[in-house]
Amino acid sequence: MNRLHPRSAVLRVARAALQGGFFGFFGGSLGTGMLGLPGFAVPLLGLLGALTFSGYALARYLRFRYELDGDTLTVESGVFARQSRQIPLGRVQNLDVEQNIINRLLGLAIVRFETAGGSATEATLDAVDETEVKRLRNYVRTHDRDEATGTETGAADAVSEAATSSRAAHADLPGVNGSTPARTGDAQTADDFGDPVSASDTAERDQPDGSLLFAFDQRELLTYALVSVRPAAPVLTLASLPLGMDVVWAVLRFNATLSGASLNGPVVRWLASSPETTRLAVFAALSAIQFLLLALVVSVALTVIEYYGFRLTQADGDLRYERGLLRRYSGNIPLEKVQTVTIRENVLMRRFGYATLAVETAGYSGGNQQSTQGVAVPLAPREEVYELARDIESFGNLDFDRPPKRARRRYLARFSLAAAGLTAVAYAVDSLVLETGYWWLAALLFLPVVPAAHLRWRHRGFDLDDSVLATRSGFWRRTTRIVPYYRLQTVFVTRSPFQRRRDLATVGADTASSSSLLGGIARVYDIDEDTAKELRDTLRERLTAHVAGLRTGDRAGDANA
Amino acid sequence: MESLHPRVRLLWVLSTGIQASVLGVIAYLVDRFAISLPQTVIVGGWVVLVLLGVAHAVAAHRIWRFDLQDDALFLLRGVVTRTDTSVPYVRVQHVDTTRGPVERAIGLASVVVYTAGTRGADITIPGLRPERATELREQLRDLANESEATDAV
Repeated sequence: MNRLHPRSAVLRVARAALQGGFFGFFGGSLGTGMLGLPGFAVPLLGLLGALTFSGYALARYLRFRYELDGDTLTVESGVFARQSRQIPLGRVQNLDVEQNIINRLLGLAIVRFETAGGSATEATLDAVDETEVKRLRNYVRTHDRDEATGTETGAADAVSEAATSSRAAHADLPGVNGSTPARTGDAQTADDFGDPVSASDTAERDQPDGSLLFAFDQRELLTYALVSVRPAAPVLTLASLPLGMDVVWAVLRFNATLSGASLNGPVVRWLASSPETTRLAVFAALSAIQFLLLALVVSVALTVIEYYGFRLTQADGDLRYERGLLRRYSGNIPLEKVQTVTIRENVLMRRFGYATLAVETAGYSGGNQQSTQGVAVPLAPREEVYELARDIESFGNLDFDRPPKRARRRYLARFSLAAAGLTAVAYAVDSLVLETGYWWLAALLFLPVVPAAHLRWRHRGFDLDDSVLATRSGFWRRTTRIVPYYRLQTVFVTRSPFQRRRDLATVGADTASSSSLLGGIARVYDIDEDTAKELRDTLRERLTAHVAGLRTGDRAGDANA
Repeated sequence: MESLHPRVRLLWVLSTGIQASVLGVIAYLVDRFAISLPQTVIVGGWVVLVLLGVAHAVAAHRIWRFDLQDDALFLLRGVVTRTDTSVPYVRVQHVDTTRGPVERAIGLASVVVYTAGTRGADITIPGLRPERATELREQLRDLANESEATDAV
């Protein structure tokens, strides 16, 4: 059994001592104030707090052990409540490495193992040194590949073909092919599995770089940051900063004075006291421009910090990414665990022929807490993105079927209703509160209704390829989802009352990918009811056929397709 | 296609009644300690909610169907938005039968089917006689075993 790196123990103990010290100190100060403890109790309690906390941290460090043996990762932890967890390596979805600044200075890294079950990370090693990271990574990777030869082989890893052929014998062993019980303890001995990959073997296959698929230079990074502006970024950043909202109010106040208002109280009161229209317009325009500029700057800065030094490499059927300026993230995504492939293009990217590629596994989120989806390629020319996507899941040329024309009428009706509703609200607010008489300006919202309905209709569609279902939707950010048939979980068809009126239905194809909000489900919107039923039955048939194909080991058919 | 047991309507009405009563108690407390609310609103609201619940229960029972097809469990449901769901047996992770307190009082049980998906990862078939629930669970288990895949993810 291995322990975590001693330097991480020093770090944790120091951190705990600091926390405990503060805790004791504050407790002591409270005690002297309220209970009348003598003055020397303050430093004494501080010391006591520091000792207890650091002692506990040290005990936790000493109790935490992990081991990679044969087919399992074993982690033992816990001071009072002890836990022993065994994770079959075949079930590891991805392995993520994070280094914050302190860890980078100390040469340490936090390693996370993600499996499909559960909502949290299954095992976190906080922290180990870089050679150990390399060892863990290679062990998991080579293990994955051994198993892959027996079961579903990863698409498009020509590199591994030669290397794995020598180990193909493992596939015959029991346990490798069947279902490995998760966390059942020591029911299975190491003999059930092949011989554990020896250390020399691992070293021999150590190809730290693999083949480089994609990297950002400074200019590309900046382009990416510019075209992927997230307007919500400054709001979130400001809200999370201390005093952030005070700054906002100060700026708004400044704008109000600049537009010539005489302020006697807070800005809100000035706004509520129905100011002159021109002043209000100047104020609104100023604030809007400032907001947009701020959005641009903050969003670019965040993107640069997040994606600085992005590299994507492929080694032995694994994708490996690296990124980050302050906090470095890196991780391995086994290609054979990829559930869905998503290609995103916003308006700007489409204009310049760029696209973003994201892959999702059933693991937690590709170490990507901020963007919640494992971004494989942040920005590349569209052809390159499609080429890489085809490497991951082979599919042919996508030819999207649009929804029927009556779907467009539905969007028209929906957008008109929304515009009418907003106009009504504007009228109500204006006649009751503001009394400017300009409520009819809101009726301008009717102008974009027709183009909006058309664009929404134009960018929606689906395609049934030989081995994948592809769906597409969204104008501002067009998302193309590619779901291999053998990854389907459930298929559902929904019809809202409005859809039923026009004989339309939406088909959803769920996969086991883990991104929570928009994730996982490929939706085919607003297709004809009969087409929807047909699509549902086709999807079910193909899932069954592909799974049956997998079981007999006959993947040749869809690999070539 | 199999429908649910007719008594499931009673179950749904009872649970709406319980929820409406909880809301009523909250409204009463608000009335007592914070803002005064007219009594007619509280009582009327309760009655409207329960009536809606009855209508919903009747409609939902009429629409609800499920079927064990060749390759998948097929469910049809939804009063406002109609949804049909196909759960391929290959994707079934595990199956539960559950009986809540109200269900026990009425003598019904539900079967919950779990998949590894993101949406609809747990699919409930309510309103079954306990024997039928057990039988269905075993049927589903056997079907899932028969079609065992390499890895249900």
